[in-house]
Amino acid sequence: MEENPTLDSTAWGSSNGWLAPREARGASFPSAGRSLSSVLNELPSAATLRYRGPGVLPWGTPEEEEEEDGGRSRQAFAEATQMELQDPHPSRELPWPMQARRAHRQSHARDQLVHGSGPRMDQLARLLWRSKEKTKEGLQRLQPWAWTLKRIGGQFGAGTESYFSLLRFLLLLNVLASVLMACMTLLPTWLEGAPPGPPGLNTSSPCGFYDPHSQGLVTFDTQLFNLLSGEGYLEWSPLFYGFYPPCPHLAVTYLCWAFAVGLLCLLFILHRSVSGLKQTLLAESGALTSYSHRVFSAWDFGLCGDVHVRLRQRIILYELQVELEETMVRRQAAVRTLGQQARVWSVRVLLNLLVFALLGAAFYGVYWATESTVELQETPLVQETPLLKLGVNYLPSIFIAGVNFVLPPVFKLIAPLEGYTRSRQIVLILLRTLFLRLASLVVLLFSLWNQITCGGDAEAEDCKTCGYNYKELPCWETLVGQEMYKLLLFDLLTGLAVALLIQFPRKLLCGLCPGALGRLAGTQEFQVPDEVLGLIYAQTVVWVGSFFCPLLPLLNTVKFLLLFYLKKLTLFFTCSPAARTFRASTANFFFPLVLLLGLAISSVPLLYSIFLIPPSKLCGPFRGQSSIWAQIPESISSLPETAQNFLFFLGTQAFAVPLLLISSILMAYTVALANSYGRLISQLKRQRETEAQNKVFLARRAVALSSTNPAF
Amino acid sequence: MGGSGSRLSKELLAEYQDLTFLTKQEILLSMYVVSAPHLVDNEQQARSGNEHTGTPIAERANGSPLSARAHRRFCELLPQEQQSVEASLRAQVSFERILSLPELKANPFKERICRVFSTSPTRDRLSFEDFLDLLSVFSDTATPDIKSHYAFRIFDFDDDGTLNREDLSQLVNCLTGESEDTRLSASEMKQLIDNILEESDIDRDGTINLSEFQHVISRSPDFASSFKIVL
Repeated sequence: MEENPTLDSTAWGSSNGWLAPREARGASFPSAGRSLSSVLNELPSAATLRYRGPGVLPWGTPEEEEEEDGGRSRQAFAEATQMELQDPHPSRELPWPMQARRAHRQSHARDQLVHGSGPRMDQLARLLWRSKEKTKEGLQRLQPWAWTLKRIGGQFGAGTESYFSLLRFLLLLNVLASVLMACMTLLPTWLEGAPPGPPGLNTSSPCGFYDPHSQGLVTFDTQLFNLLSGEGYLEWSPLFYGFYPPCPHLAVTYLCWAFAVGLLCLLFILHRSVSGLKQTLLAESGALTSYSHRVFSAWDFGLCGDVHVRLRQRIILYELQVELEETMVRRQAAVRTLGQQARVWSVRVLLNLLVFALLGAAFYGVYWATESTVELQETPLVQETPLLKLGVNYLPSIFIAGVNFVLPPVFKLIAPLEGYTRSRQIVLILLRTLFLRLASLVVLLFSLWNQITCGGDAEAEDCKTCGYNYKELPCWETLVGQEMYKLLLFDLLTGLAVALLIQFPRKLLCGLCPGALGRLAGTQEFQVPDEVLGLIYAQTVVWVGSFFCPLLPLLNTVKFLLLFYLKKLTLFFTCSPAARTFRASTANFFFPLVLLLGLAISSVPLLYSIFLIPPSKLCGPFRGQSSIWAQIPESISSLPETAQNFLFFLGTQAFAVPLLLISSILMAYTVALANSYGRLISQLKRQRETEAQNKVFLARRAVALSSTNPAF
Repeated sequence: MGGSGSRLSKELLAEYQDLTFLTKQEILLSMYVVSAPHLVDNEQQARSGNEHTGTPIAERANGSPLSARAHRRFCELLPQEQQSVEASLRAQVSFERILSLPELKANPFKERICRVFSTSPTRDRLSFEDFLDLLSVFSDTATPDIKSHYAFRIFDFDDDGTLNREDLSQLVNCLTGESEDTRLSASEMKQLIDNILEESDIDRDGTINLSEFQHVISRSPDFASSFKIVL
């Protein structure tokens, strides 16, 4: 037959084999008889996909088909019914209309009655599933502000919603930490009678004296100053470490509280990040499917209001155009000459050097501020004016806040000059801002450590007698607690100030300014990445400080509550939906990871102080010990013999090394399994391509045969 | 059932809870919405000519006593023979009423959504149960499978069971806006559709069928959170 050569050449051509079927699908054969598309529509797979349940018209039934192939299609649908009912889906997961689902549920129930109650395991499994659903629903309803979050997500997008969801999660962590603190430190303190007062001037000890209470009558502004800087009457209060009496029970529970909070936070954060991690790890590289994702999941169906919809449409258009442009740029970059590449790379190196220089200057500023606080406080001018005294006290916080305010916009200006694609720019800006925030905190802690341990030199003049700088810092733990307390307060004050003094007036003024100026000043957006980094920084500060300032989680709970309502008010009153949508998936994966990083960073100074720095001799529950950790072996030695042996065994190498070996083996096994699954997937994909070619070939053969033989 | 049509019977409510992904509160809320969308229209128009959406309906009707009252009012509005609960449920609402909801009014896919969920033979009316179906698929707790199935149906503009180039180009036009200055140019559109087919068309037949679509969507973690309508 004359069609054969054409069929063979077009259907089996290796290089352009996939072009021919595409054209075939679009254009039906002009000959009489059945077209290719009608043949393909009758395949059982197509029938199942279009099935909508008994008694309902299937999807996309054009009128002509019903008359001709009514019998054939009905038969296909009947077969499909059999297949559907064999799968034990719960009725609501079937993509059928309500009537069909109701009929399915009733027939399913009838079947169960007829065939007996089915195997026991099935019933049990169903009961278990149902109770799990109920508990999940109950837990969902317990979460506060669920309705607010939904509204925010609908109006401002999923990225903004993820910020508020993260804020709620951190609030939960802080509440748990405060509750644990109340049980494990406050309760034991008062259990054994009222704790003693401060040592005062009359105690003599080789490590100097410690007198936190100031003498005589205190004026109002001194009180205010004490409140804001944690000195005076606050210094010897349950707020700070120094207050707690040296009973052995309290010491053990105090230490256990720190570790329990750390472990709890770790578990919760891991639990939260697992779902985001699963999606990101299992999905193939995002670069392979970026266009499909941009088109298929681009539209947020929760958007309502013409203004928002038009804005989103404009954003989508802009993003698509940018993406197409980026592909062209990438293709151009691939064919860059050596000279052009050298130029681009030299620009990048220069800009990176600039960034490092800026960061270095910022860190030096923070270091200098912390070092000079103590000296500046001695000058008589500062002692006179309370406002200046407050300012000097807050100098480290002011420096850190200033640096975090000024440098990120500079990074945003620098990034486009480096010649990377837009998405890579965003990642770079985020990484740099993150580094800035966490590293400035680290520098502050480093300079504190410098002061406390005289630069790590145990033989230095000041640190020889007591192991720490007892002359300037008779109770160094309280000092660290005070610094963290001041950071927390200052963070809250700056948040309030920015909202009240910058964002609200800007919104109010833009209503009065006419034309373009008004529009420029008026469109504020909720910058999700910056806000989230601020949250994570605040939480890291609390984690660092909660060992030295046990009431800090409670204060942070109040602060985050205030912050939630403040940000919500600011959002609804002043902000419009963001121009560059921040993908919620990035938020779910990236931000818990950064939170973990913050937790890891905060554990370093804690562990260092517990194991390596001698505790103050004059204050706190560990006074008189050689190190804070030394309390634990002492209390273990008071336990029975078997418990002692067991606990000591856990610390030996005979336990740690096999544990490490077993974990490595498990990890290697999981990686190998994942690799083999990946290979299987690509194999199945290739098989599927071949099968599709087979299908089209057979369908065209059928059409050719039916056109030559009209009896079909 | 006439006078006591003030609330849905408990069995019916439980049945709806079983057959959909909605909670009891959401079902009652949707009754309120279906019964009085013309009230919504009048209020919105009376307030101002402002296009900005007012507070969503739920803020005004966030408790079941209000929805029960609303259903009673709905039944009073219907003619005498339709005042039973079942009849009011089967009553067909025309597209204009549903499309006037603020959640759907500005949605570029609103006609497709209504067509996809309609079970009437002429595909131009929605019953209350169709509306519940709609809300169930767009709710928080619906499975990704069923969401992607219905997303595929909504994007399949010519209802032929596959997404071909025409469907994809219509989809992109809906996303960017229908007017002339908001469309992609012809060459950009061709490049975009070529890229999409390159990424998602596994069997290389020039169209995307349901399983390919579901495969692509399963790797997109944003899909479930964006395919949501909250009343």
